[in-house]
Order: sequence, then C-alpha cells, then structure tokens
Amino acid sequence: MIRLENVSKEYSADSPALIDASAEIEKGEFVFLVGASGSGKSTFIRLLNREEKPTTGKVYVAGKDIVTLSSWKVPFLRRNIGCIFQDFRLLPKRTVAENVAFALEVIGRPKHVIDQQVPAILDLVGLSEKSHRMPDELSGGEQQRVSIARAFVNRPLILLADEPTGNLDPDTAVGIMRLLDRINRTGTTVVMATHDRGIVDTMRRRVIELSDGQIVRDQSGGQYR
Amino acid sequence: MIGKTRFLLAETGQNIWRNIALTLASILVAAVSLTLFGTSQLVARGVENATQRWEGGIEFVVFMKADAEQSQLDAIETLLEESSVEGSTIDEWDFVSKEETYDEFIEFFAGDEELLDTISVETMPPSFRIRPTDVDAGAVEALGSTFETKPGVRTVVFATEVIREIQTNAEKISQVMLWVGVLLLVASAIVILTTLSIAISSRRNEIEIMKLVGASNWFIRIPFMIEGPLQGVIGALLSLPLMAVARRYVIEDFSESDSLKLLEGFRVTDSEFLFISLTALAIGTAVATVGSILAVSRYLDV
Repeated sequence: MIRLENVSKEYSADSPALIDASAEIEKGEFVFLVGASGSGKSTFIRLLNREEKPTTGKVYVAGKDIVTLSSWKVPFLRRNIGCIFQDFRLLPKRTVAENVAFALEVIGRPKHVIDQQVPAILDLVGLSEKSHRMPDELSGGEQQRVSIARAFVNRPLILLADEPTGNLDPDTAVGIMRLLDRINRTGTTVVMATHDRGIVDTMRRRVIELSDGQIVRDQSGGQYR
Repeated sequence: MIGKTRFLLAETGQNIWRNIALTLASILVAAVSLTLFGTSQLVARGVENATQRWEGGIEFVVFMKADAEQSQLDAIETLLEESSVEGSTIDEWDFVSKEETYDEFIEFFAGDEELLDTISVETMPPSFRIRPTDVDAGAVEALGSTFETKPGVRTVVFATEVIREIQTNAEKISQVMLWVGVLLLVASAIVILTTLSIAISSRRNEIEIMKLVGASNWFIRIPFMIEGPLQGVIGALLSLPLMAVARRYVIEDFSESDSLKLLEGFRVTDSEFLFISLTALAIGTAVATVGSILAVSRYLDV
C-alpha cells in the first residue's frame, strides 16, 4: 500500500529531516511512528499525501509513484488518504454535520450521497446526538471524533494521523484509539505519529522509530521504548 | 452537477458577504473608471458628429430657408457655379437637400421620438457646403457674407476659429477623461486583486481542508474566479446609467448652450451609445478577470 525507497528530505542542507528512509507498509496495517520531536515523523507523514516531495528517493502509494505525480492529479491521490491532526482543524463556523459534509461537497459528491453518508459516519464516531453543535461547544475528544469522521467519511484506503491524541487527556485518548482501531479493522491502513508511550505499549502494533531523520527500528508488535 | 454548482455559488456568495465593504469599493472604482472611460468616448463621438459637416476643408455653410423657392436655390447654385468655374474664389461645393438633411437629423436624434414627431422633410433647411480656394479667415468671411443677403438664404455658418477651438478643447477633455479612466481601471484591477487576496487569506482554513480532502485545484479556484469578474461586471453595469446621465445632461447641455450654438449636432446616436456601453462592459470584465487571475496565481497556492 505504501512504499518508501531511500527517501531523503532536506529543508536546509545542514539539517536533513529524513535520511535514506526505506519502509513498506501493507494494506490494512496499523503502524506507529515514534521518535523525539524533530526526528522526522511529521515529514514522513507529509511525504505520503504529497504535502512534501522528497529531495531524493521514491514514494509509492497504492502502486503509484507519487513523487512524479502531476499536480492536477494530487487531489485524486488525497481522496484516498484521510488526515487527522493534533489540532483537529475543524471549521469553527460550521456545525459538526457541516464540517463532515464539507469534505464530500468539495469533491463534488451529490447531495443525496452526502445526506446519507454524513449521519452514518457520525453514528460510527458516536456523535449522532451532536450533529448540529458548533465545534467550540464540544470537548477535545469530541472534536477529534468529528475530524476522524471528516477524514473517514470518504472511505479512504489510508488514514494518516499526526499526534491525534496529543491534546487529549489519557482517558479520552483511549476512546480515540478504540475508534482508530475500529477503522483499521475495516481494512483501512493507519499510519500514526505519536509520543504517547502508553498507547503504543498497550496496542502492540508495528512500530517504526525515527531518530534524527533515520529509521532506527522497524518492529512488528513493538513497544515505545 | 447541480449540487456542485450550488455549492460553488454559495461559496462565492459567502466570500462576497464576508468582505462586503471591500467588494463595494472594488465595484465603485470599476464603475467610476468605466464611466469616465465611456464619457470620454461619448464626448469624442459628439465632437466627431458635430464637426462632421466641417470635414474636408468645408469653411462655411449657406443654410436656405425651409420654404425657399426652387428659383432661389437655382440662383445660389448658379452663383456658386460661376464662382468655381472662374476658379478664383470657390474650390468645391456640395448641395445638401431637404431629404439628406432630414436623414442626418433622424440619425442624430434617433430615439428622441418627441423631437422627431415635430419635424418633417418639409421643415428641413437645404444647404450648400462650401470649400473656398482661399482659406484665410478674413477672405472666407468676406466671401461667405456675400451670400447672406441673397434671397432665400436663412443664415451662413462659418467654421470659425471658435469651432476649431471647441473641437480641440473637447478633444482635450475627452483625452484627459480617457487617461484618468485608464488610470482608475488599473486602480480597479489592483483593488480587485487586494479584495481577492484578503478573501483568500480569510478563507485559508477552508482552503487548507479542501486541499487535504482532495478538492480539485479548479474547485478551489472557481469561487475566486467568479468573484473578481462579477465585481467588474457589476461595476460596468453601474457605469451604464451613469454614462446615460452624462450623455443626457453634459453632452446635450453642451449642444444647447447659447455660446456653443455652432456645435448644434453635438449628439451621440443610440447605436454609438450601445457600442460604447458594450465596450465598457467588455473592458470591465476583462480588467477584473486579469485582477482575479493575478490574485489566484499569486495568493492561492494550488
């Protein structure tokens, strides 16, 4: 599903963000990216949805070389990749349902599809009751659920999560992880960058550890360490 | 498709509403610049129409009375014939019949039904347009005034210094308006560019999410590509009534004021007005489109 071949990324010559990284992630896998701040986790994630291009090396997603992908095709790549972030990135002037619907509207999905899919996904994330609330009326955990609903409503092949529990208390974080686990079980590949030792150690999934831009460990069923 | 269109229009509407003060400013600047541009063209056309009968070196016109008898016309014609055969005083001359005068009149005053109702071929004065050999002002006046006393002659009108002066002045006014109009058009493009850059920056969160979930590049651009030209079109539409006011009051006052009696016929025909309006509309749309393309390519990173 995802393959990196000798990927390096330099923002400036003296401090590369990623050095000669190679990894292959199969369809349906759940992968934690761990490592200190600035170790290259976010760069890794940003390379997968073409927010960044590598300086050297190749990145394949779903069998396609996405480095040479022409820019007008990038949106179609991204329709197969959901993204969630530490800071949720919800639109503050739209309700929960409108935030989720927005993701379908802007890719031109017809209204009857939106009307059917939005309630279904809100039900999945457990927010049916709050579909008409504004984001600032929700707790952090609920806001992250909305953002997961938005990322997943289009049923992407891959879900990228950059520190999704970073702003949440441990109990709420567990709820979010249960949800991501559930999404993973539908066959969606999940790549999640995290600092959260407890989560990594409990879930026992594949762990890719980055240090100063290099992959220093790639272990299935791993722990945070 | 319908859902998509509705979504894009709603987005455009929201952009405009959030940014309403600047949007109004862009529209007004566009309207004023196009009004100045259009009025400059109206004045230019007016001058051209008014001075039409003075084209090709015609220095004076002998207007006959509307009820002048054929024998009186013949007498003048004979006189002109003689003067030009001798080659001494008159180079060339044209006779403009009642019918031709009527046709010109109809063309000038097209649309002014009230005025057209009051006239007929019979009320039109026939005239002789004369190019003298000697165009020195004194000589022309001496020659022209010899016709004034002939039977059947109503008046002799000279293309005096005054006319030439007015012609130049009107041209200057029209030139100044044109250049101020062009400068304001540039300003209008810049205001539209700024309006759009602010609209884009105030929507950067939406745009970021749109990119993230895979909205196509055109889908992101379209609301802004509608908004800019829309401002230009609305500005241009507003300039049309302003130009109509300019046509009615400024230009027609010009032609009716006593001191400018000689510029009778300082009019703009309906078809000329329509042409100028369409030009203003096209220019307004084009300028706004250029502003939008610049804004989208500079500030919208898709």
